This record gives sequence, C-alpha cells and structure tokens, in this order.
Amino acid sequence: MYNIKSRFLRVFLLAGLVAVSLGSTSTALATEEGLLSLHYDVTGKRLFKIEANQLFQRTDEGMAWNAIPLPEDVTEGQLLAVSVPYTDSQTLYIAGTSIGVQRSTDNGETWQELSANLPSREVTALTVHRRQDETLYAVIAENGIYQSEDAGNTWKKMDSGPSQKVNRLVHSDMEGSMQTGWLYAVSDDAVRLSMDCFCGWRPTGELDAGSVYDVAYSLDNPKRVYVATQQGLWRSETGGQEWQPVAGDGTVLVALTLSPKGTLYGLNQKGKLLHSEDEGQSWTYPDA
Amino acid sequence: MRKRWFFIASWLTLSVVGVGHAMAEGRPSSNDTPQLDDGKKVYRQYCASCHGTQGEGMPNWQQQNSRGELPAPPHGPEGHTWKHSNAMLYRIVAEGWRDPWNKTDRLTMPAYQEVLAPSEIRDVVNYLKTLWTQEQRRHQADESEQAPFPESSVATPE
Repeated sequence: MYNIKSRFLRVFLLAGLVAVSLGSTSTALATEEGLLSLHYDVTGKRLFKIEANQLFQRTDEGMAWNAIPLPEDVTEGQLLAVSVPYTDSQTLYIAGTSIGVQRSTDNGETWQELSANLPSREVTALTVHRRQDETLYAVIAENGIYQSEDAGNTWKKMDSGPSQKVNRLVHSDMEGSMQTGWLYAVSDDAVRLSMDCFCGWRPTGELDAGSVYDVAYSLDNPKRVYVATQQGLWRSETGGQEWQPVAGDGTVLVALTLSPKGTLYGLNQKGKLLHSEDEGQSWTYPDA
Repeated sequence: MRKRWFFIASWLTLSVVGVGHAMAEGRPSSNDTPQLDDGKKVYRQYCASCHGTQGEGMPNWQQQNSRGELPAPPHGPEGHTWKHSNAMLYRIVAEGWRDPWNKTDRLTMPAYQEVLAPSEIRDVVNYLKTLWTQEQRRHQADESEQAPFPESSVATPE
C-alpha cells in the first residue's frame, strides 16, 4: 500500500514538474518573440526592426542596422510597434506598453507623446491606414481599438476589439470593405479581420499551425496575404478566407513584412533578418 | 385660468428643454416624430421580414448559413448598424449589399432605390436610430458629420 502511495506521489510530482517547465518554456518563447517586430517603409525603401526595446533601420539594400534615438521613457516600457505613413517617410510612430503612442516628424531626432486622449499608455499594437497618412489605429490592452484621424492628436474609441489579446494590427486597402479598408488583428491563436468600420471581427480561414506571430500582405494585390506561424509560413490568395502552407525550407519567422517589389522579409527568433524572393519558399540571410 | 396658463407655460418649457437635451445627446427629437413614424412604417413593410420586427436580426447572424451567406444582422445595440455614417447606411439601403466573403453573388441586402423614395430611405435610417443607446447615437452622429445623407434625401420644408 505504501508503495502504491509513494509511486502515485512520485508520478504526480513528476507530472507537475513537467507541466511547470513546459509552461515556463512557452512563456519565455512568447516573451522573446513579442520583443521582435519588422516594418517596411515604402517611401523610404527601408526596414525598421524592433529588438530588445530598441528601434533600428536599414535600407533594403544596406547591410547594417542603425539605431534610431528613442524618447527616454521608452526604457520604462516595452516597445512593440513601429509604423510609417505610406507617403511620408520622415514621420515615425512607435507604440508599446507603458509607452503609449509617440510620433517623430524628423526621423527620430525628436519625439512627441500622443497618448493624452487615450485611456492608458498600455498600447499593444499600432498601424497607419494604408491610404490615409493621418489615420492611425491603436490597440489599448483590455480596452479596445482607438482611431485617430489627425495624426494621433485626438483619439476615438471605435471597438472593443477581438476578445483575444492583439499583438499586431495591420491596415489593408483590400477591396470589399463598407468603409475604406480592413484591419488584420494577430493574436496568439489566430488572425482575425474586420472592415475598418468595425462592424464585426471574423476569423480568417482554418490555420492549424500553432502560435501565430505576424501577418503581411502584397501592396499590389492585397488579397495575397502571408502569415508567420510556429509551423512556418502560410499564404492566402483570398484575403485570409483560406490558407495554404507555403512549401518551403521550414524557416520559422516571428516577424514578417513585404516590400512593394514582392520581397518578403522576416526575423527569426534570434532577431536575424532573412529575405525571400520566391514567395516564401526559400529564405536566406541578406547579410551573408 | 391662472392654473391653465401655468400648465401651458410649464409644458412649453419642459418641451424646449427636452428637445434641446435630446438634440445634445444625438437622440431623434420630437420634431422628427412624423418622419420617425413614416420610417417605422417603411421598416415594418420592407425590412422587418429579415431584420425582425424589433430589429433583432436573424439567429446566428455572425456566421455564414448553409448557403454560405451572412444572415441579416440586428439593428439594435448588439448589432453594428450604429457604426455606419448616414451616407453609408443610405447607400446600403439604396444600392444593397452582400458580404464579400459570401459564397453566393446575390445581394443579400436588396437594393431599394427603385422601390423607396430618397426621403423614405432617410426616414427608415432615422427610425433605426431609435433602437440605439445614447452613446451609440452620439458615435454615429460623429461619423455622419463628414458623411451625411445625400442632399436628394433631405425633405424640403413645406
């Protein structure tokens, strides 16, 4: 009897240890991945990277990442998003938790806080409208999605957002919206989509690929959408209605963006930049 | 006699205050009552069969049905009608609508521009506003500032 009890206790403790270690591993991964972000500036033909609470830029033909000076209070929070208007490459927007939304109109020389009209500085995602340089969307944690139509000076709550935490937000000018476009919201479990009138979030097609990290779409053909997942890259030709896995080399990316020429750029879990010229089938290090 | 004048004066004062208060909150005012009645009649005749007599919409309206179409949404606070500007709501009623992800090509929301006069479309949209909360009416009024009803739908004073 003692043996049975003892064995049961040992198995129970072992199972507990495994569960705890698995849990901490997945939390660590999620935290590491959350630190990384990538954004392509169409006008300036350059890439922005967020890594370890810093913002870097490089031209798409250049080799080195250069740090952009950030406001001092960024160190108190977690930098999560950078977005650039599509026709004004001097203006940068950054956002993050305990950072709010901040804007620079001189490529990072000076910054202005834009959170006065927001309910908190806990911003988890930010995007600029594809066609309207002064229209922004910011996701406030446990609150909802706010829109500004005056470059961030004033904000208005538009929606409570998906019930899941939104890690990335991307505006698209894909046709078919009642308003001016669509918003892709990336959560850990899925990509969701809403017209930018916020008349309901719809799940995109079945995506049985583990954690979801990032989404990007083709500027020339917005119905072509890529999503970076724990199990590699998936593609849709229908705006996300259906997804197909991209048959490739199995590269896992945690951040993704697309240039107008069709070059896909991604960051791996270590923050290394990769690019693909064949729609995500093969990836190489541009620095190599 | 004095009492009667007191009641009339009180009623007028309360009416003025009430209308002002309603306008400030974006609530349709009592001046709109005949138009709201007209809008309600239009709603009952053309819209209620799909959207429900109380604007409750169809069951499971957020999911495609067996035909692959999104069912008619509710018009009350739980729906999203209040998120659209006057211009957009007018357009949807006039020109019809289908969700771009529907599996069929037909307009699930039929076009009514050949059936209803412009003023009737405006009246039915204004009637829908009576189904919303004050906050929703304010939000929709803000959205409509830059996107009002088309001028052709604005009734000319008699």
